[in-house]
Amino acid sequence: MVTLAGDQARDEAARFVARMDADDWTEADESELQAWLAEDPLRQGLLLQVQAQWLALTPEVEAPAVPVEEEEEPAQSGWGRRGVLAGLAASAALAFVGLRWSQSPAAYTTKLGEIRRLPLPDGSVMTMNSGSELTVSMATKLREVQLAQGEAWFEVAKDAQRPFVVAAGNVRVRAVGTAFSVRRRETGVEILVTEGIVETWADGDQSLRMKLEAGDRAMLSAHAVIDYETGISSSVDRALAWRGGMIDLNGRTLYDAADEFNRYNQRQIIIADPRVAREEFDGLFRVNDPEGFAEAVKASLRVSLDTSNPNLIRIE
Amino acid sequence: MANGKSECLREGATPGEADKELARRRGTALWVAREIVPHEARVRRWLARSRLSPEDVDEVMQEAYCRIAMLPSVDHIDRPLAYMFSITRNLLLRRLRRQQVVVLEAVSEIETWQDETPSPEEQAASRISYERVLAIIGRLPERCRRVVELRKIEGWSQKEIAAHLGMTEKAVEKQVWTGVRAIRDAWLQAEALSENRMLGADRREARSW
Repeated sequence: MVTLAGDQARDEAARFVARMDADDWTEADESELQAWLAEDPLRQGLLLQVQAQWLALTPEVEAPAVPVEEEEEPAQSGWGRRGVLAGLAASAALAFVGLRWSQSPAAYTTKLGEIRRLPLPDGSVMTMNSGSELTVSMATKLREVQLAQGEAWFEVAKDAQRPFVVAAGNVRVRAVGTAFSVRRRETGVEILVTEGIVETWADGDQSLRMKLEAGDRAMLSAHAVIDYETGISSSVDRALAWRGGMIDLNGRTLYDAADEFNRYNQRQIIIADPRVAREEFDGLFRVNDPEGFAEAVKASLRVSLDTSNPNLIRIE
Repeated sequence: MANGKSECLREGATPGEADKELARRRGTALWVAREIVPHEARVRRWLARSRLSPEDVDEVMQEAYCRIAMLPSVDHIDRPLAYMFSITRNLLLRRLRRQQVVVLEAVSEIETWQDETPSPEEQAASRISYERVLAIIGRLPERCRRVVELRKIEGWSQKEIAAHLGMTEKAVEKQVWTGVRAIRDAWLQAEALSENRMLGADRREARSW
């Protein structure tokens, strides 16, 4: 008996899957398929496998939030606005009863150059980067952060009953017990994972669902995965040097470096010469020391500085 | 039962039931796509630990899918992955008994599966990213790529695609066939890749200690 379906049987299975994928499945098709299936009992399994693999890559396979932890019930409550409203309603109700999760969503902001470390009521710790704005709501079923602007790094306390979700525009990042950062940029939302694993997706677009693990970096927009890198723990750590008030430039261009300093300081760095801007640069600097950085650039690339304007540093 | 495979035979559907059968098959496949396919590598790894040859692993997997394909409905299954594990476990035990030479270690491995929850690493290793899907689709021949993109990314029906591209529906179906095969092959590769990734992860851990 031919037990293992060979390549031929696989091709035939694929052909039936393609036909079932069309809109006009007829009685004749069904009979043909039944006859084919009857030839080898294992074909039922083969057909299911091939059909499932084809369907698994289609956006319409709406996973009910694939749980990060096996035992955890998929959170059925809506995310986004609905989640916040539910949180609001829940906390409004609880305010009367006076339970411990009863705080309404709390808003936090950091000014330019300010880096703020905040313990959250659930035991998680949030570190906000310069110029950021976010709202935290702790409901009984869900911990949710709405990142309106900027960047924050989250060390999430493990609680399988209450997933921790960060919403940045349409992009969602979800964790149970893990550490990761989310940053809103002009081009999209950047996610860096330093510990454990997180799940990301875009609200309303299941096809963008992906899992990121420690050392992964992803850049997502509302409609596409723009960039994805895996196994880059050291550059993830470097990108998060701001948590210690530092900027770690490891072969980044001067243009990127200036951009980075300008996130933290009133005094902006301008690079006049585009050729200089493309130079790569190494070093560890304090976020609030653009002058020190400019001096280092001057010394190593032999460029001149114009520091006459207190609000600007021109690298020429 | 002398031959477990005979259970896989299903009575031929009576005429008029084509649509019903199609819907049932699709429902089951969607469920498998969502609940089982992402974890398949993990089930295979577990099977491989009981010293089955890769060919035997393939066969057990296919028998297991066969069992699922026979179910009138999958709605009652609360924990899909655990269900998949218990089917494969039974098939495996039966197979080992048939072989008469029961490898004791193999049986004890089989009994340990319940203690396992997939680690985050395993879950990550068993995913196939959207980016990879795009890459797979991107490598298809031009005409096929266009059809598969419209079907899978835009969600158009084959009929709509045919009208839009000025092709016959049969021709569209043929391109979809090529796409199905490409994606099936990609899954096979993804499985191999996830094995490598798991090994890589082990090595990384070993170094950091």
